[in-house]
Amino acid sequence: MADLRFTGIGKRFGGVRALDGVDGHVDEGEILGLVGPNGSGKSTLINVLSGHYAADDGSITYGEANLTDLPPHRIIETGLARTYQIPRPFSTMTALENVSVPFMFGANPLSPQTARESAMEWLAFTGLDSLANEPIDSLNLHQLKYLELARALAARPKLLFLDEVLSGLNPTEITASIEMVRRIHSSGITIVIVEHLVRVVTELASRIMVLDRGKVIADGDPTLVMQDDAVVTAYLGKRSKRAEG
Amino acid sequence: MTTTNRNTSLITLAFALVLWFMPSVRETLDFPVFFLLFGYSLFFWIAQASSWNTFTGFSGYFSFGQGAFFGAGVYSVAVLAVKRDWPLLFTFLVGGLVAAVIGLIIGVVVFRLRKLRGEIFALMTLAVAFVMASVARVSPAIDGGQGVPVNTVELPEFLGDFPTMIFRLGLIVATFAVITAQSVQRSRLGWGLFSIRDDEDVAETLGVPTFRFKITALLLTAFIAGISGAIHSLQIGYVTIEDVFSIRVPLFVILMSILGGTKHWMGPVVGAVVVVTLNDRLNRAGFQEISDLITGGLLILMIVAVKEGLYLRMRARPLRTAVGFTAGLVIGFALGALDESLITLVAYGLGIAVLAVMLPLSWFARSEPAVTDDVEEVASHG
Amino acid sequence: MSLMSQSIASGILIGGLYALMSLGMSLNWGVLKIINLAHFSFILLSAYVTYQLASVYGWDPFLAIIVTVPLFALGGMALQWAFERFRISEFESLLLTFGLFIIFESLATSVWSADFRRIDSAANPYASSSLTIGPISLSIPTLSAFVLAIGIAFGTRYLLEQTHFGRAVRALAHDREIAGAFGVNHRTVSMQLAGLAGAYAALAGVFIAMSSSLFPGIAVEWFGIVFSVVILGGLGSTMGTLLAGVIIGTVGAIATVVWGPSTAPLVVFLILIATLLFKPDGLLGAKGGI
Repeated sequence: MADLRFTGIGKRFGGVRALDGVDGHVDEGEILGLVGPNGSGKSTLINVLSGHYAADDGSITYGEANLTDLPPHRIIETGLARTYQIPRPFSTMTALENVSVPFMFGANPLSPQTARESAMEWLAFTGLDSLANEPIDSLNLHQLKYLELARALAARPKLLFLDEVLSGLNPTEITASIEMVRRIHSSGITIVIVEHLVRVVTELASRIMVLDRGKVIADGDPTLVMQDDAVVTAYLGKRSKRAEG
Repeated sequence: MTTTNRNTSLITLAFALVLWFMPSVRETLDFPVFFLLFGYSLFFWIAQASSWNTFTGFSGYFSFGQGAFFGAGVYSVAVLAVKRDWPLLFTFLVGGLVAAVIGLIIGVVVFRLRKLRGEIFALMTLAVAFVMASVARVSPAIDGGQGVPVNTVELPEFLGDFPTMIFRLGLIVATFAVITAQSVQRSRLGWGLFSIRDDEDVAETLGVPTFRFKITALLLTAFIAGISGAIHSLQIGYVTIEDVFSIRVPLFVILMSILGGTKHWMGPVVGAVVVVTLNDRLNRAGFQEISDLITGGLLILMIVAVKEGLYLRMRARPLRTAVGFTAGLVIGFALGALDESLITLVAYGLGIAVLAVMLPLSWFARSEPAVTDDVEEVASHG
Repeated sequence: MSLMSQSIASGILIGGLYALMSLGMSLNWGVLKIINLAHFSFILLSAYVTYQLASVYGWDPFLAIIVTVPLFALGGMALQWAFERFRISEFESLLLTFGLFIIFESLATSVWSADFRRIDSAANPYASSSLTIGPISLSIPTLSAFVLAIGIAFGTRYLLEQTHFGRAVRALAHDREIAGAFGVNHRTVSMQLAGLAGAYAALAGVFIAMSSSLFPGIAVEWFGIVFSVVILGGLGSTMGTLLAGVIIGTVGAIATVVWGPSTAPLVVFLILIATLLFKPDGLLGAKGGI
């Protein structure tokens, strides 16, 4: 079984502890929701687990592989991929070229020509096939978010981190995107979803992990976790502070 | 991004093969020896610009270090062939290797430090070129400040007379440089470099071995620039530090690549042909200073107004290019350019074609990618 | 020994001139995010204008300041206006001003030719005059440049730390958008700062004309020294630039005495490389912090 396990993850930026001894695991086949107030460390955790940042402390294993000191380009070979909260497409390439890049790298690299053909399938999956040869600056935010998804899927992941794929979308787009996440999951990909919209996460996730100020404060069944006292305080405490300020 | 396939390289090779026989048919076709030397000049700059672009244009890491690689090649011949009597052809290869080793050292040191990006990398490469010039000036074994007469070196007889030899040597290196650029552009290496240019962090997390790819590209650049420099030492004749390590080589490769466009292998080729031809004609007509003015002015104009470069723009506006070129030929012919030389006539054609693709566009409006606004909006929400 | 102490003294003084040459570049880069190679052209042209005024029109070289300073302050402002107008990025600025640099060099060549030019000694009494302290003699132009550099460095620091303009500049260096939110008009402030940088280039040019021979290619030779001082001093750091100028001047002078004059640039470039590798934020660790 390929489960992702991480223990004692710490990450500091200057004097700020973004992550402070975070332990956890992602089991194969689940959808794990990662929630928490602004600045709680959710995105940092994804950045560390996907290799975008190196952790200051702690260790990460995925199945048999020890990811802790692996350079980022090797991490994707083990089957982990991610999307970015703010889409970061390769700006001088077309949509198709963006999606074909991951096919050329990773565990089973394809030649650029075959990569293009395979990329077309994922573009079709995300409904972007009609935009395949368009330059990036002609895509709108919704399409860019889908492009992020298609590009991450092109890395042929077994586990996919989705960093706020719904933020900035309108209600219709959100509904379509949730459907998309379900389809990805049912194709056999384990999913970790970070999301601002707590209701969406509770609806999608089979388990929820709550972070607050760089620490895990709750972990478990979605409905139970969201009623947990610590979680309620983390969210409402912040809100009352904001009311005072 | 436009793809290029194996056929492109076969066509390039066939074209080079035809050019190879130019010196043999010179007397039959009755064209002046100067054509061969002009041809060499084109080949030299095509090789330099293409090699520079293979690393810098594709990866986005701006290098002012071309002079260092070029200089390493020149001085390899000056030191080994002239001062130590090594076989000339062998020192060409050594020149490429020495340049590659310098590239490797720069790459390993600089790319390990992720802080050294963008303009700091550019400065670093500039400093390396300066250091090499200083070392050569201080060390009598290399130069010592006196200069080295490379024109005393014995040339291998089987390569023919000097114009024939330099033409063919230049052709080999230029062909090699262009085919290398084409192969890189269509390979995984090329796609990796393009993704590094666009967003290095994302490239790395998508599986691109960024460190290895940057080093590989820099090695290719340095090796070709080194060999090309080694051959060029014969053309220079008497090499001095001031000439070899002047700002001229980095300036011109940057200008040519930016003029032609850095995103396609054809960009530096187009840029080199345009700049060499126009420069040569202006100098011949006694406008040396004007040609520097034009060089600087073109660089500014391209950065402000034509960011994609001439090649992609010409391809997007083929009609305008063709009409401009033909009009240039007609104007040149009417002004009696052909009486002077065929090259002058072609220079008219190129000059007008360049103006034609550039002029009618609004110079002073920069197109804004629509995406940025959306992204900023998300950023401010998040 | 007296040779060594004389060299060190001269090195320290010439370091003041280096700092003067570098300060504008450092402000441009650190605050405005513009790598302005035309800064070198401003220094060069200011030197030539000084030469012209002194040699041809018989002005006192010091008086040239009243022409060159406003002229190149305006030049700096005009350039900055163009950078803003065309939204030139930090990276493009390097290339664009490279083009300007070439243009100015060829202009200088066409006006003053490629030959060495030096202000006639009759018109430039300062070149040969010096201040003698014990065994050490200090040339007047270099000494003046040194004193002026110290004055300017401290003056600039005061300006940046104590005045409203300085607060605006620091806000700008820190975060352009936030500065805008607090009512800093970045276009006005950055044009003022670029004007200041141009004025410093003009001053440096006047002293160079007074103390050495000019030829158009000399500007390229300043690259190594000025970039070393700017990087070693830390981008945008006034005190760092002054300190770095003196260090580079002194080290260069020592290298000249110990290993010969042609080794001085080598040592300077090695310092630049070492700084880039080990202390890219500069001596005082300032990062746009001024």
